[in-house]
Amino acid sequence: MSNSTVSRRHFLKIVGVATGGLCISIALPGNVLAEKGIIEDSSTELNAFIHLDENGDTTIYCGRCEMGQGISTALPSAVADEMEADWQRVTVKQGDADEKFGPQATGGSASIRKMYLPMRKAGATAKLMLIAAAAKVWKTSPDNCYAQSHFVINKLNQQKLGFGELASIAKNMPIPDTVTLKKKSEFNYIGKELARHDQNEVVVGKRTYGVDTKMPGLKYAAMIHCPVLGGSIKSVDKTLALKMKGVTDVIEIPRFDVPFGSIGGVAVVADNTWTAQQAVEKLKVEWDLGENVVYNTKEYKQQLVANVEKPATLAKERGNVHRALKKSKHKHKATYTGGHLSHSPMEPNASVVWVQKDSCEVWASTQSPVDIQKVLGQYLKREPTDIVVHVAMAGGAFGRKFKCDYVHEAAVISEKTGVPIQLIWSREEDMRTGYYHSINAQHIEASMDEQGNVTGWLHRAAFPSIPSLFDPSLVRAPKGALSAISNHLFGVQSIRVESGDAKAHTRIGWYRAVNAIFYGFAFSTFADELAYKAGKDPLTFVNQLFDNNNKKKQKKDIKRIKAVLALVAEKSNWHNRENLPEGQGIGLAVHYSFKSFVAMAVHVEVKNDDIKVLNVDCAIDCGQILNIDGATAQMEGAVVMGMSLALTTEITFRDGAVVNSNFHDYPVMRIADMPNVRVHITDSDKSPTGLGEPGVAPFAPALSNAVFAASGKRYRDLPFKPMAV
Amino acid sequence: MKQSIIINGTKHEINVDSDMPLLWFLRDELEFTGTKFGCGKGLCGACTVHVNGQAIRSCITPVSTLVDKQITTIEGLSENGDHALQRAWLNNKVPQCGYCQAGQIMNAASLLAVNPAPTIEEIEASMQGNICRCGTYQRITKAISEAADTLSKEA
Repeated sequence: MSNSTVSRRHFLKIVGVATGGLCISIALPGNVLAEKGIIEDSSTELNAFIHLDENGDTTIYCGRCEMGQGISTALPSAVADEMEADWQRVTVKQGDADEKFGPQATGGSASIRKMYLPMRKAGATAKLMLIAAAAKVWKTSPDNCYAQSHFVINKLNQQKLGFGELASIAKNMPIPDTVTLKKKSEFNYIGKELARHDQNEVVVGKRTYGVDTKMPGLKYAAMIHCPVLGGSIKSVDKTLALKMKGVTDVIEIPRFDVPFGSIGGVAVVADNTWTAQQAVEKLKVEWDLGENVVYNTKEYKQQLVANVEKPATLAKERGNVHRALKKSKHKHKATYTGGHLSHSPMEPNASVVWVQKDSCEVWASTQSPVDIQKVLGQYLKREPTDIVVHVAMAGGAFGRKFKCDYVHEAAVISEKTGVPIQLIWSREEDMRTGYYHSINAQHIEASMDEQGNVTGWLHRAAFPSIPSLFDPSLVRAPKGALSAISNHLFGVQSIRVESGDAKAHTRIGWYRAVNAIFYGFAFSTFADELAYKAGKDPLTFVNQLFDNNNKKKQKKDIKRIKAVLALVAEKSNWHNRENLPEGQGIGLAVHYSFKSFVAMAVHVEVKNDDIKVLNVDCAIDCGQILNIDGATAQMEGAVVMGMSLALTTEITFRDGAVVNSNFHDYPVMRIADMPNVRVHITDSDKSPTGLGEPGVAPFAPALSNAVFAASGKRYRDLPFKPMAV
Repeated sequence: MKQSIIINGTKHEINVDSDMPLLWFLRDELEFTGTKFGCGKGLCGACTVHVNGQAIRSCITPVSTLVDKQITTIEGLSENGDHALQRAWLNNKVPQCGYCQAGQIMNAASLLAVNPAPTIEEIEASMQGNICRCGTYQRITKAISEAADTLSKEA
């Protein structure tokens, strides 16, 4: 990995830089070299990601979207590291929607996996061009020069030239065909604990998010959506709303049946958000609710359970599971369920859009500026690239802001009013008319031989799937959505995967960790149950399951997953758990998702039926770490999100509409329940993979296993303690 | 004569509907966007500011109830952004997305003003109304303890 070389063409291709590539921007002429007549050009650019000012101030652009996961620190720090830039001289800016930044849609924990090498190469390329510039000035060979801390230094005489002085010469240097990347031992920032580039702004209230966009002439909108997916407006009585002082318009927004388009509703435009929100309350809207009015999650979940407890549609089979189950004397079966979840980031959906006759400009908290261009392009019948999207910092997203229905709505309102519109969804609309993590049921039956080797594994899953967003006629999750089951790293002699019927009645959307939430829960909980059935120590049993995996291509993964499991067992004092006080227990779980390995050991105390999580040890192997602090923060956050979904949060539908409305009946975890979280990071040289999502999956099963160890009570339904709504 | 309100030491005329919550007066009229909208019902704490030094939820507090009161927002908590809590927040690298942090810091500042040496349990009880979906709670508790220590040494 280190010292690798890349061809220039390959670099440009993967970075997505337009031809010509390097561009350094220099604001003003007049630096030392210009005065000496050495440079003639005053305006330059290094490449799409790097702008260097004549005084050395460096701007590094982040093309991937920031929502709190720390990507706008991690990736630019990799650029700075290879460039030998001084981080103190670097300002990070979020890139607007532009193909020159490469793929910008931010999800699937893919940013680091996809952009780590291109970013390093961008930095290394800039460094070589700066060195070449200095060599030209000194009339020496580049071999005699090296870069360090924002300077190029002449090895022969220790002369120094600053990056700023060199910028405009560097621009005219040929783009190197190959770059040599630094060795791990040479890293300045990669793998260290660099603070987030913007935390100083956060603590003084100066960090701005999509919701904070202001501009002259801005009007404010609030809206109500059809409470049932697929419904439409029958009639709107606007009289009372329009009578309110400060209300300028009431606008009907029809359903726009493209992925990520509005589900339809009515918006009020006013002089401020408060007035708009108040006026929405005064609207009298009659809806034609449509066919999804039949949706009741309580009954639907029971139906999913029924659908997985009987034969379902075959997705994949290896060996003969039915024969194995028939032959074995040691069998176990269990059914697991989970409810819908709302992302509920602290910043509700918000954007500003200004549609004019020949332009459309967007300022939005988003995970996917490209989808904004696509949807608005479709709606306005303009070229996607004509839609200018300024990517704002998102105040949390967790998958919600990948979908741009709220931006589309602001565009409709702006198109009809001709002014820039800021649309902010209320918390209630955010919770009631969003996209949801899928409700789900799984049933597993397994057989074992006398030694506790698993001979057959029958796994049925039923859940309305994300592909239903794009094909609403789907009646069950397609095979591809179940491939994580047959690809699981457990070694079983035969496996059969079936997909149970589950038609979608609401919009299913990526939610942090996505299907890994319920797959991780079922696999690690069921393995724990099997261990007790086999009379074995759960850790020994799970290791045996991994050891029985004979697939050659998974050998390396087996080694890594066992290592993180061993690490949390050691750190949590698992091996001495018999010394824990009465009512306490430790549970283990490990899951591989999004190319990363995460294990958790959860230590609980159970009194009567109260569960108190005391400690959580997390071990991660995501290859080379970019930022230790960022990785640690992602794990702490994953525990909190995992704990909310394991214990309390669930979205309930009745007669097609969401019943929950705000944080009083969607009880996300609060500070008093925070356990002591310890994060253990595997030192690795392997290619880095992401951590935004993989930490969420192992928490709930580790908790279920811990509660069982402490109390003998087994929880198989997420959340364990749903609030009655 | 128009009624007014004092925000971060500056007098502002209340030129809006008297029912308007302080949150929207700050955000949409004065464009002090550091105070955040989270729930609109006083359930999440993102909009926390101080009235005469005490934390309140600005999303449910009408401006009309604040005539001539001293309001402090995150922008006015300290002159140079160097309140002990702000320093502790940086030192512990608390923020992830950062959206809730202004409310968290303002709530914590109100706690330390009345209880300069809170126990962990007191910190948790006091901060229970402030939600962070990114999950920075462990660091928030640590940062508040650290700020309390700093303040006691500086006193």
